Amino acid sequence: MDAKRNNAKGPQLQEGKATQMEGPDLESVIERAQGHDAEALGEIYRLYVRRVFGLCRYMLDSRESAEDATSEVFLKLQRSIESYDGSIPFPRWLLRVAGNQCIDALRRRKRGQQVIVEAAEEVAVIEAVGSEPSPLSAVLSREERAQVRDAIAHLPENYRLPLVLRYYGELSYDEIAQQLGLQRNYVAALLFRAKQELRRKLGHRSK
Amino acid sequence: MECYSEQIVSIFVDGELAVEEARRLRDHLATCRRCRQLLDALRAENRVLSESLQELPEEAASPAGSPHLPWSLGWSEVVVVAAVLALGSIVVGWIDKLSIPEALQWLDPSSLNGRTNLIFNLSYYFAHGGTAMLGDYAAVVGKFFLLLLLGGSALLLGRRWRPRQAGLRLLIVLLALSLPGSALQRRHSEFVTVAANETVDDTLLATGNIVRVDGVVNGDLLAFGESVEVRGTVKGDLVSFAKRTVVSGSVEGNIYNFSNSLDLNGQLGHSIYGGMQSLRVNDRGRVGHGILVGAGDVTIEGEVNRDATLYAGNADVSGSIGRELSMAGDSLTLTNTARIGGNLSVRVRDLKKVHIADGATITGTRDIQIRVRQSHFTRPRFYFYRAVWLAAAMLVGWLILILFPGFFQASTHAVGSGWRSLGLGFGVLAGVPVAIILIAITLVGLPVSLILLAFYLVAIYLSMIWVGAYLGRMILKPTTETKGDWLLALLVGLLILTVIRYIPYLGGFVHFVVICLGLGAFAWQLYRALRPAITA
Repeated sequence: MDAKRNNAKGPQLQEGKATQMEGPDLESVIERAQGHDAEALGEIYRLYVRRVFGLCRYMLDSRESAEDATSEVFLKLQRSIESYDGSIPFPRWLLRVAGNQCIDALRRRKRGQQVIVEAAEEVAVIEAVGSEPSPLSAVLSREERAQVRDAIAHLPENYRLPLVLRYYGELSYDEIAQQLGLQRNYVAALLFRAKQELRRKLGHRSK
Repeated sequence: MECYSEQIVSIFVDGELAVEEARRLRDHLATCRRCRQLLDALRAENRVLSESLQELPEEAASPAGSPHLPWSLGWSEVVVVAAVLALGSIVVGWIDKLSIPEALQWLDPSSLNGRTNLIFNLSYYFAHGGTAMLGDYAAVVGKFFLLLLLGGSALLLGRRWRPRQAGLRLLIVLLALSLPGSALQRRHSEFVTVAANETVDDTLLATGNIVRVDGVVNGDLLAFGESVEVRGTVKGDLVSFAKRTVVSGSVEGNIYNFSNSLDLNGQLGHSIYGGMQSLRVNDRGRVGHGILVGAGDVTIEGEVNRDATLYAGNADVSGSIGRELSMAGDSLTLTNTARIGGNLSVRVRDLKKVHIADGATITGTRDIQIRVRQSHFTRPRFYFYRAVWLAAAMLVGWLILILFPGFFQASTHAVGSGWRSLGLGFGVLAGVPVAIILIAITLVGLPVSLILLAFYLVAIYLSMIWVGAYLGRMILKPTTETKGDWLLALLVGLLILTVIRYIPYLGGFVHFVVICLGLGAFAWQLYRALRPAITA
């Protein structure tokens, strides 16, 4: 499995970013898509399917579920794109929609229960670890990205979801809190703990 | 001033700290070297996180060759399936005016007939359908499947065809080759006869209300009908699904019989195998080898050259059996004229139901025992076997988890879809045996149907594993997804299922539901795994 994971190749990163349209081009495509122009919808699909799939893949536990969620997102896009008002960048909006889709899928699996439940002790205290430099940065300079990805993929759901929404989907704390039905503080705490857990995992590995 | 905690700095780096507090922190940073270092480290960390995440985990999505829209994909599939269906229905009408609904009635579980024995219904309906004859029916089904497969494969080829579908392709080729080149001779009508002066050189598949062979069949005779009668000669085997089968001529091979009744008045070269309500070997009947049957009533008045093994409600023997007679069931009567050349072994519940007339001859030993149905639970062997079964299931589960982790987990999750899995599973459970029978008779013949049968049995076995793992996870609710968690969940689930299975009445029902659920989940995941990945 790890070997497969390493197959994730660099070019996809560039492909994902380099082909992103900016400014007026994108705007006009979105406008046309809002008018149910199939070609424009196709263009959006082509541009963003990889990023959306990536988010889904990180949030859900299998490729199949991620594929399902991705198709759902684009299937619903025909309608949902009407609600896009341009107040935030389109990619971020789309990833927010995708995040919602994944959380819906997770919630369905848990029979309607909340995906992440707040545990009281985690919200409150912010420990004063302040003095130590972050060990992850040291680790990162040595480790492959693949290992980081692998570690993220193996994080428990309550850490993985906020982390992915934040650093892949680039959602704000408020947006993440809203999607997961949590308090903003708790999201901050989860992100912090997720990183600590990552450092622990990667630290173990490098030794 | 005191330094800020790492979490606060982390929130600051994320750009999520409240404006006022962020300003204070900035002021502090200007004076505190340690906090600046922390800030840099956290920034670097975020950067690496974002960068690492830009690539996809695991099997990175393969580059989209030709971008397809998911909705157009969905529609194109629907359109192709609809087109194939339409084409298929045209072909069905064109090949023959079949009354397929009638031929399919036996599949309807809500009908009285549907509830009773499937095999008997099969023969009954094929016999009663009159025009709905098996040969054409199966040919139609075969061609229909071929069309579906060809249509489906064209669709798949249009998209990315992966090497793992080689098996499917092979199957298509096999089907395509086998359809035109079948060596069967098929006959069907109300009244199928092979006249006294006629000789059939091939294997004969005969379907009709009455099938009568007065002449000679040089191959095997596969007969479906209300009544099947062999007055002439069948040089091969006789395979009969009928309400009533009578052999007054001769069959030189074996008789495989699934009938309501089988009467043998003539000569049989080899043996009788099968299940039936009543088996009668008349005084003129002669069996060259032996008999191995499960039957309601068995009457042997004629001769059996070798062993007779009977699982029967009642068995009456007044003829002769060359070697051993083994019988398990309810009652046995040996009359004065009965001759048994070997040992007699009998297992009955009540000794009073074994009548052996004084004149009966038994050359070997008599071994007559009362069959006590002991509870399994008192036997240590039972627990041993259950433990072995559990260990084997765990081993299989572990292997699948190692080899196909994604598939294992997805199948387990698919169990959770409840009604979909249940319905699909029931369909597969009921439908596959029908397909196996049809394929065995008309398409590629026995090998494919045997492979399918093996696969079917394996799938039934695996259903316990998916449901077990699902149940275990439902109970344990593990937060992580390690292999250990999955195996522990599997163990817990299987233990529970094993215990539930032995609850009287309920256990059987639960077991049935478990098989349906598991089969459905498995079938669904197989479908998904074989379907080409969406171009993500």
